[in-house]
Amino acid sequence: MIVYVAGIGVLGPGLEDNRQAMEILGGDQEDLRLPVRAPEARGLAPNEARRCPTTARYALDVGQQALRQAGWEADHVATVFSSGSGDLEILDKNCRALAHPLPALSPTLFHNSVHNAAAGYWGIATGSHAATTSLSAYDDSFVAGLLEALLLVAPGNPCLLVAYDIPAPPALATVRHVSAPFAVAFALTADRPPDHAIRLDWRWESQGAGLAPSPLAGDLEALRLSNPAARSLPLLWHMARRISGFVTLPYLNDGRLQVHITCDA
Amino acid sequence: MSGLELIITRYTLVSALGRGAKAQLKALRANASGLRMRLLAGGLPVALGEVCGLEDVIIPAHLSRYDCRNNRIAALALETDGLAEAVAQCVRSFGADRIGLVVGTSTSGIAQTEAAYRDSEFGQTGALRGDFPYRETHNVFSCADFTRRYLGLKGPAFVISTACSSSAKAFGTAARLLRSGSCRAVVVGGVDSLCDTTLYGFQSLGLLAKKGPKPFSADRDGIGIGEAAGFAIVMAAEDAQTGLYVAGIGDSADAYHMTAPHPEALGARAAMGGALTQAGWTASQLDYIHLHGTGTIHNDAVEDLAIRQLDCAAIPASSTKGAIGHTLGAAGICGVVLTAECMRGEWIAGTTSTEARDPLLGCNLVLSGRPGRINRALINTFGFGGSNCCLALEWRP
Repeated sequence: MIVYVAGIGVLGPGLEDNRQAMEILGGDQEDLRLPVRAPEARGLAPNEARRCPTTARYALDVGQQALRQAGWEADHVATVFSSGSGDLEILDKNCRALAHPLPALSPTLFHNSVHNAAAGYWGIATGSHAATTSLSAYDDSFVAGLLEALLLVAPGNPCLLVAYDIPAPPALATVRHVSAPFAVAFALTADRPPDHAIRLDWRWESQGAGLAPSPLAGDLEALRLSNPAARSLPLLWHMARRISGFVTLPYLNDGRLQVHITCDA
Repeated sequence: MSGLELIITRYTLVSALGRGAKAQLKALRANASGLRMRLLAGGLPVALGEVCGLEDVIIPAHLSRYDCRNNRIAALALETDGLAEAVAQCVRSFGADRIGLVVGTSTSGIAQTEAAYRDSEFGQTGALRGDFPYRETHNVFSCADFTRRYLGLKGPAFVISTACSSSAKAFGTAARLLRSGSCRAVVVGGVDSLCDTTLYGFQSLGLLAKKGPKPFSADRDGIGIGEAAGFAIVMAAEDAQTGLYVAGIGDSADAYHMTAPHPEALGARAAMGGALTQAGWTASQLDYIHLHGTGTIHNDAVEDLAIRQLDCAAIPASSTKGAIGHTLGAAGICGVVLTAECMRGEWIAGTTSTEARDPLLGCNLVLSGRPGRINRALINTFGFGGSNCCLALEWRP
């Protein structure tokens, strides 16, 4: 199945949106500026926006960037949300509350702790009733999400992939290292967009993940290695430089998603 | 389903009703409940559906870092009904790299981290020890990671975590993996275990039943949480055969509220209608609906509304939540296995612990189990975040 990228969303250190990400990844700069711009939660009523957790804000921000660039309405666009660890800030708060002799959880923090919270807020913010899934494969969550999204795309059935991970609070940083927040979104379609199309041809290869050569250096490479969602950076690098070629995305030590990018397809 | 149905060649389930598919059917025939009353901290009584025998589960030495309640339930299920042996046969036939794994869970092994936060060492250092097995026990992917290593699989593996629809949606991912040719067989699972997060979380929302769940009853007041692990081996069905099939999957989002269902049943109706359409069935061809039937006031009312809107009010329907509890991320696989066993055993499960249907509701609620043939059934799951999934299950004897 041939799939086209109709829109991109990016938010991370030094990468404030899709346009700036393309500039940085297309240039020679290797160091990334902190802190990260606060993500926007557009489309939520004030009370929902107040409750919306950090991870869901990242998802909303990049997902809406990608849809704007694609010129799509959210309705009828299936969604795949992918995260390696979900929202560890909320987890930390909940586990602290549960450590009390008489535990009392916040109802909001409880329902925000589900792995599909981002999908829930996406639906509320956009009004989309389209099919949606939320998944994880630890450090390979982006690749898992991309595989699921590529499988979902069909003629007339576009799909939005959103991947995000944020750093753990200090209590959990000892067991889960994510250096900086990063979120990415791809609006994917089987129907060729009007101009400057980026085409993805892909196949699943099961024989050995091997070591994937990375075109990145400096802070960008460090970010790729330390945030599961940033495993998408080699794809973005090709798109930014409009360099066609293969990107190998290793998966769980045993397989890999082999993606061929054709720019200006 | 777009020219490709799934055939389920093997399945198993461990739940509060017991170990294995036959134990589930035996308990359903007896209208038995596996729920027991327990006291929360502070003395509040709640009904819980616990899996027994976990202390005897042996975790292989090379997977000792994965040892936790959630993975123990998974291991118990894998060693039940010949599931692991059947997967090994698939490995011999197709190769480990051609077998996918899709597991639904909501909280995975979160109880390990809850316990670690209560530890005195955490109080002193304010952080988890560096060697705490977060990745292997708590992380949402850990139950799939454990299962994959336990079974020696090397194909694509995912955890689907969409709250209570997780293991139903897992069948959708499996269908796509098979359709694309990436896999020859997929192990689909659902694993969730009791933990304080869900217990005190549902308590905080006022959704725990005071005297156990009574789905679709006028005096229903909430859920009883259960734990379970179930697995099914699915493959592409190339031609009409006898056996158990997933004939359709309907998937939708409420786009309404994080916890409350859409009041006009928009999402539930779309999921059920989607499953019927994909299966090519009309409402009147259905024999049975395995209700999500959690026992909360609003969820049951909205599910009932969706059933009436789809002209399914005459179809026999029941909830097994009073028997096994609400197993959250495992609810989908529980629905599949319990319904499949009833299909084979020509039994229509009752709604354990519900004495009479709420007169304000209109579905054809089966109160007490009875003999009956089921060939075509819907299995409903509706979760937090407005995440809905309905499976169309067909038994061709």
